[in-house]
Amino acid sequence: MTEPFLSIRKLRKAFGAFTAVHDVTLDIPKGEFLTFLGPSGSGKSTTLYAIAGFQDPTSGDVLLQGKSLLSVPSHKRNIGMVFQRYTLFPHLSVAENVAFPLRVRRRPDAEVKRKVADMLALVRLESFAERLPGALSGGQQQRVALARALAYDPPILLMDEPLSALDKKLREEIQTEIRRIHRETGVTILYVTHDQEEALHLSDRIALFRDGRIEQIGTGEDLYLRPATDFVAGFIGNSNFLAAEHLETVNGAATVRLGDGSLISGINANGSFQRGQKARLMIRPEAFRLDQGSTGAELAVEIVDVAFYGERRRIVARTGAGQEIDIRPTSATLATQDVETRHRPVFFDPGAAFLFPA
Amino acid sequence: MSVEAQQGIASKRIPAGLGGLLPALTLIGLFFVVPVLALLLRSVTDPAPGLQNYAALLGDGTYARVFFNTFLVAAVVTIVTVLVAFPVAWMLAIMPPALASVLFGIIILSMWTNLLTRTYAWMVLLQRTGVINRALMGAGIIDQPLPLINNLTGVTIGMVYIMLPFMILPLVGTLRAIDPMTLRAAALCGASPLAAFRRILLPLSLPGIAAGGLMVFVMSLGYFVTPALLGGTSNMMLAEMIAQMIQSLLNWGLGSAAAFILLVVTMALYALQIRLVGARRAAGGA
Repeated sequence: MTEPFLSIRKLRKAFGAFTAVHDVTLDIPKGEFLTFLGPSGSGKSTTLYAIAGFQDPTSGDVLLQGKSLLSVPSHKRNIGMVFQRYTLFPHLSVAENVAFPLRVRRRPDAEVKRKVADMLALVRLESFAERLPGALSGGQQQRVALARALAYDPPILLMDEPLSALDKKLREEIQTEIRRIHRETGVTILYVTHDQEEALHLSDRIALFRDGRIEQIGTGEDLYLRPATDFVAGFIGNSNFLAAEHLETVNGAATVRLGDGSLISGINANGSFQRGQKARLMIRPEAFRLDQGSTGAELAVEIVDVAFYGERRRIVARTGAGQEIDIRPTSATLATQDVETRHRPVFFDPGAAFLFPA
Repeated sequence: MSVEAQQGIASKRIPAGLGGLLPALTLIGLFFVVPVLALLLRSVTDPAPGLQNYAALLGDGTYARVFFNTFLVAAVVTIVTVLVAFPVAWMLAIMPPALASVLFGIIILSMWTNLLTRTYAWMVLLQRTGVINRALMGAGIIDQPLPLINNLTGVTIGMVYIMLPFMILPLVGTLRAIDPMTLRAAALCGASPLAAFRRILLPLSLPGIAAGGLMVFVMSLGYFVTPALLGGTSNMMLAEMIAQMIQSLLNWGLGSAAAFILLVVTMALYALQIRLVGARRAAGGA
């Protein structure tokens, strides 16, 4: 078996009685864009800091191409990093900031010059070379930070919520830049964020953290379409959870009874359930169909509110059991008369619905 | 608005403002400007009109030595103060605020303690049979007591101790404004702790060092008590010389001239400091 490029082995970090990271194990192939996603305090940043060398793990190991990084001090790890806050050196020009890692490595002047020009071209800030960081916008500063982190061709680039201080429009713009730069440089990126849209937009794979453990790791599609737990389903995208009672499971397809007494079959069962066990049925808001001739499982609802959001409508409906659900059909497939009837059935594919333990 | 109207407002305001300022201006005039002018007058009239006092001060090798010594002590004190204050200020800047405010309290408290008390305390510690010499001899590190008092060493130790808060306070302000993450970023960029200090932390803290250093230097130039008690006769400082001229030699003219030269140098340095601090503020505001 070949060595994984970067390997995190049973990494554990405890602060006194509180354990921030529980035995996280992870292999990252070269060139991958892997995102650590999770709510704050889930251990994603702590894991990243252990790789950067800012925090010594309590136990476990971090291996780069088979060699442990733990005994290597930060300044010799040869890792690039972009931080949440702007960390450019305020007394140095943009060009000197990018040149800094090369200067401390005592590279020849000609090489420094060439590399700085390349990097500023990469982040499209050639004309800002002589400015001081204070004269740049937040988005520009983070692009300079990116250029600085990549200037010495590090094998790994760490990014700790680099866009969280920026407004939404700028965020999306720089996300696109980051994707392009990842494509052009082929650098392995570990990216930390609590923003699921950002994670889905950027990553090859996402590791979803919860309470210091990886809840699920996979592509964005894996996590969205095949969530392993109700936490994943709730964190990635929008979800409706209906209270249900499990009746039987045959070949992974479950039959449940909902609160209003109706029966639904063919649901993806996550885990094994007892007969009569309380469970939660997860259905994505956009999985519901209201248009004429829809098929699939049927759910009787009362339409409470309909709002038009351009490409989608948002419908608030109440089930027979009195639970409010969120329905988001595309406007293109829905005619006005479809939502005029207050009491009516909505349809969904039970194969796209998941059953989780309550 | 017309020019006349502006002038009308201005002419109405200035006398009113001046009226309010009058007591303060009188105070400054009576107790600062007049005495300084009297000093200047005395230095060029006593014992006879002319610049002979200044000529004597600037032409005589003995006086030149005192001037040189004063600047030497002030420079040494400033450098040592910066070296000692920097690590303390950095620690205060990065430690948890609650703990930092306790340490700040201790530093401020030492500033409030009587200057003479503190200087006498150093005399007790530094003299030949003092605590430090006895401890070192008792530990077998030295055979003969170290000459720690009545020389430049004693003056430097005593004055650095007194000047430290004046260096630490502006420096902490500057250092607190530096994001510690910047240093982490420098480390990941490959900078060793020494390189990060030299290329990042030191340049960023220069404004604080300059402000505190100039303050310490200016204060040291005119210091009297500590050099008088801890220093030796061979390295007299300007303030001591002035005291001697006036108290022992009763040469008011020469003493006034020396005091005036000290005042001019101090004011010049103070003006430089204001310029530096002002320039820093302007840069920070841009």
